[in-house]
Amino acid sequence: MRSLFALLLLGFISSPLQDHSGMIKIPAGELRPFLLLAGQNGRIKVHSFYLDIHAVTNDEFLQFVKANPRWKRSGVSRAFADSNYLKQWAGDIEIGDDRIRNSPVTNISWFAANAYCKWKGKRLPTMDEWEYAAGAPPVNAKRGRDLSRIILEWYDHPNPAVLPVVGSTYKNRFGVYDMHGLIWEWVEDFNSVMPGSENRGPGGNPFVCGAGALGTANKEDYAAYMRYAFRESLQAAYTVGGLGFRCAQDIE
Amino acid sequence: MKNNIIAWGVIISIMALSCHKKSAFAPLSCCAKGDAIAASSLPVPLDGNAPVYQLQGKWTDAHNRLLELNELKGKVQVVAMIFTHCGYACPRLVQDMKAIEDSLPAAEKDNVGYVLISFDSERDVPAQLHRFAAQQGLGDHWVLLHGNPGQVRELSMLLNVKYQKLDDGNFNHSNSIFILDRNGGVRQSLDGLDPQTGLAINTIHRLIQQ
Repeated sequence: MRSLFALLLLGFISSPLQDHSGMIKIPAGELRPFLLLAGQNGRIKVHSFYLDIHAVTNDEFLQFVKANPRWKRSGVSRAFADSNYLKQWAGDIEIGDDRIRNSPVTNISWFAANAYCKWKGKRLPTMDEWEYAAGAPPVNAKRGRDLSRIILEWYDHPNPAVLPVVGSTYKNRFGVYDMHGLIWEWVEDFNSVMPGSENRGPGGNPFVCGAGALGTANKEDYAAYMRYAFRESLQAAYTVGGLGFRCAQDIE
Repeated sequence: MKNNIIAWGVIISIMALSCHKKSAFAPLSCCAKGDAIAASSLPVPLDGNAPVYQLQGKWTDAHNRLLELNELKGKVQVVAMIFTHCGYACPRLVQDMKAIEDSLPAAEKDNVGYVLISFDSERDVPAQLHRFAAQQGLGDHWVLLHGNPGQVRELSMLLNVKYQKLDDGNFNHSNSIFILDRNGGVRQSLDGLDPQTGLAINTIHRLIQQ
């Protein structure tokens, strides 16, 4: 009887629908966006939300594939993930190289990342949420506290043969790890940057090229420019070796 | 003729793949322009349901009925993503779709459906979609769909439609009309705001024969 009461109490404390383990609450705040869009006044309000403390690992993604066989490497439709999907694994449900078990899963498409987060009762962070969370300064970085120096040094080095494990770079003031310096990350609306109709090409598609950069809030922010240009070059079925993801969740 | 189509398909796929490598690995190479154009005519294999109809989840139409996208199967579908508070581009897209409907020969009219999917999950509730359909004079061949933001984003990724919600509740978005075969394969994307009615009619005619 007493244990039943304890279970009930536990139920009150952590609702079964909202599992925040491995996540941290990011407080509400404002983001100064890299690209200024028509209808924006230079500050974007970001609501409070939960964010995974680290990127989803190969091991975690393996659990998802085991539970959702349609996301196996051999079974997934090419429209949802291109042919490099999970190519670092030894097999459909076998990682192989033990060194990458706790490294971020990469070579996954937006559709796969989106499906993983949904399966967890979560969602992908929006670009604004991600940029806001990633803008917080490091608290334990070896190379000092300057974020752009960390990023540019990372850009400077080729991808390591074995991707380091999550949590191996730095923690930021919000308490999340590796927002820069380990991998690029998918966001929910990665392809939605629309600098303005005058920049649209004959296909009706907007480009983040020279013209787009004119609308930037900080023309010196080369690191941010790289992120926006990279995102713009992606499509949702693409998989890339240095591109992974983490999930977010609304505050209920 | 069929071999010809397959050969073109292979060539276009290779083009798309080579663009992919370039753009994905060299972020600064700038502009996925080649991709966009290749993708607009990328054929989708017809073995069973095409990806669009594999998307799971219920949508709500203007009559408050629940439906899944694969219920659109069987007809050729002309599809666009819009929002009804849109002042300029979306009415143009709807007009272009109506021009396609009006230009079809009577014998083909019943083989073709028209689908409008809203970005605006907040304001484009079924009642608003119903009002919009009445205002625009959209008849029985039209389906207007409301979905949750996650569903809408997923579909937009498959169709390669870009949109972004603005502070004032409106949306920036790319403008395309898609022609889907009977299994949901995207067989043509008409990009931009210039009406391409003749091209659309030809494609629809071909797809009805298949």
